[in-house]
Amino acid sequence: MSNNNTSLQNRTFDAIVIGSGISGGWAAKEFTEKGLKTLVLERGRDVKHLKDYPTTSQFPWEFPHRGQVPQEIKAANPSISRCYAYKEDAMHFFVKDNDHPYGQPKPFDWIRGYQVGGKSLMWARQTQRWSDFDFEGPARDGFATDWPIRYKDIEPWYSYVEKFVGISGNKDGIPHLPDGEFLPPMELTCVENYFKDFVKANYKDRQVIYARCAHLTQPQQIHLDQGRGQCQKRDLCQRGCPFGGYFSSNSSTLPWAEKTGNLTLRPFSVVHSIIYDEQKGKATGVRVVDTNTREMMEYYANVIFVNAAAVNTNLILLNSTSHRFPNGLGNDSGVLGKYFAFHNYRGHISGQYEGFKDSTTDGRRPTSAYLPRFRNVMKQETDFLRGYAAGFSSGRGSHTDTNGFGKSLKEQLFNSQTDSAWFVGSHMMGETIPKEKSTVTLDANRKDEWGIPQINIDLDYDDNDEKMLKDFFEQMTEMYTKAGFTNISTGDSKQAPGLDIHEMGGVRMGLDPKTSMLNKWNQLHACTNVFVTDGACMTSTSTQNPSLTYMALTARAADYAVKQLKKGEI
Amino acid sequence: MAVNRRSAIKQLLFVSAGVAFLPACLQHTTRASLALKHIQVDGDQEKMLAELVETIIPATTTPGAKALSAHLFTLIMMDDCYKKEEQQQWLNGLKAFEQACKKLNGRSFLKSTPAQREALLTTMEAGWNNKDDMSFFYRTTKHLTIKAYTSSKYFLTNVDIYELVPARFKGCVPLKPTTRKIA
Repeated sequence: MSNNNTSLQNRTFDAIVIGSGISGGWAAKEFTEKGLKTLVLERGRDVKHLKDYPTTSQFPWEFPHRGQVPQEIKAANPSISRCYAYKEDAMHFFVKDNDHPYGQPKPFDWIRGYQVGGKSLMWARQTQRWSDFDFEGPARDGFATDWPIRYKDIEPWYSYVEKFVGISGNKDGIPHLPDGEFLPPMELTCVENYFKDFVKANYKDRQVIYARCAHLTQPQQIHLDQGRGQCQKRDLCQRGCPFGGYFSSNSSTLPWAEKTGNLTLRPFSVVHSIIYDEQKGKATGVRVVDTNTREMMEYYANVIFVNAAAVNTNLILLNSTSHRFPNGLGNDSGVLGKYFAFHNYRGHISGQYEGFKDSTTDGRRPTSAYLPRFRNVMKQETDFLRGYAAGFSSGRGSHTDTNGFGKSLKEQLFNSQTDSAWFVGSHMMGETIPKEKSTVTLDANRKDEWGIPQINIDLDYDDNDEKMLKDFFEQMTEMYTKAGFTNISTGDSKQAPGLDIHEMGGVRMGLDPKTSMLNKWNQLHACTNVFVTDGACMTSTSTQNPSLTYMALTARAADYAVKQLKKGEI
Repeated sequence: MAVNRRSAIKQLLFVSAGVAFLPACLQHTTRASLALKHIQVDGDQEKMLAELVETIIPATTTPGAKALSAHLFTLIMMDDCYKKEEQQQWLNGLKAFEQACKKLNGRSFLKSTPAQREALLTTMEAGWNNKDDMSFFYRTTKHLTIKAYTSSKYFLTNVDIYELVPARFKGCVPLKPTTRKIA
């Protein structure tokens, strides 16, 4: 390359990882630990642990709008403004709608974190394992395509990442939500424990458990070695944690990788495409646009991991065209960008519980209780496919009488009253069916400011989702009613896909190169030194929050890639 | 007061580079201490607002809303966090409120006695759900005054203690009867 001053040698690495979020961070850690000189490309700015969390220690009164997003920003950014975490304390970690426009033939709220650490900074930290009831789902129920792996393939890798990440949980012995390597749980409330016991006594196939989450409730040596400490129950995680109490790339995998001396982290680097060498029959590097200089440069490596987050991973592969792959890298089958899916988070239910009137909670808890999927688990039993998990939380609220003015109002403000009853609430996390017509595609005309085609995201709810939503309302209402909860109210947020922030697929794994993009090692069938281990690789979505599975798949694929490199196979 | 205003100004600077402040030498009685982007309020209106928030939450043995700059917070929020139509409604309502005061008390809100101010607020409370701009102005200002007060440093360090680092979560503890706090 004559268009930059960096020598070829300085631009050549053993491995390139595109993206520094939750899965890219793991690829970086694994490669650097195994001795590979690794380049991590991040399209956004750097965010250093501790140093770049500007709001982390601010008190409520230090926010000029007390947390509210100013109207001008909201009006200019309708999609991101719908995200629950887009508030004054964390808005600097989210991408504004027009920073990277996209096409949405049907509404899609694309929630993005373009910075080192990606969305691992602001994620909800829920970490439930998948089981064979998930991996065997598409084959059993006849949708999408069969997963090329089973639980036994990923089980040791779940354990591997859980030990390093630090997962708080209980061993619950549930076949379809396998136990893992757990640090102690946080407490459930009296009402959550009551509901847990009630459900156990009344429903053979249902459970209420403490939701497993990536918090250090009791740090082990491996966590202290990362410079992380115990979770302090601040419940302000989205700001970045000054204690390293929850897992993020920034607090954990990236500094770990850096310590090896093998990491080169390059922020402000938008990947344009992957370079495919027709003679060698493999990928040789990536084309990168430096967002500061606007210069296009090339970097080279023997193995490339694409961890740009689901939509952008599809975008990069679709834009990586060559004589051999005119429709996108590895896309012999034509399935690239298809079978895109998400999680149905539309349903919620709330109510009250009149018991435990003499009790309340103390402190804060950055997680909740959880109902693993109970529909269609062992066999098909409803008129819709698959099922949903649900969160469950409770607490003792308070209210303040704001009538009147003057001294009487002031007395009222100083003396808010504990609510007479506990509140309870749940939200659904429904599996959606990946369909061929649910796509991410390149726009034929529009380009972004880096000269890369704009991405169009085209998917919607279907009848299966509507039936499942109805069932969630019915089943949860029944359980709430039987448990003695009162003032029960259900609601459909009607939110667009995307707001679940669990978009998946487009580069799915599968056994057959004719119907899938990746093999059982997350390796492109047709270009074996390129791996995809973020949400784009997912063949189906199941109901669990997916990040833990991305991390396990990444560690597993990186281990395989290094072995293949040593053997000279890739 | 000066200290509180300074701290409000510091906060304003923190949030928005687009907000400019008038140099002290240009300030005179008819100008507001804050230069706002979307709404225009003069110095007398700002003072009136300060007395209104103080009437809503007066100083007793503890600070009132004016000392906690609730009127400046109200202006900042109205300027930054409300829609254009709402801002206009609020400004119209502010003027209507002044007129209503003159009609009821024969003088401006600023020149009214505390008892006269309270008399006006009693009529505002009685017409709480009215659809007119004046009621909107009163409802919004009262809401923002309460917000400013209950999320202030004073309130969250003296009345309802906010813990930045609780370091604990207990799922079931006895609900203690709260002792009455003297406002």
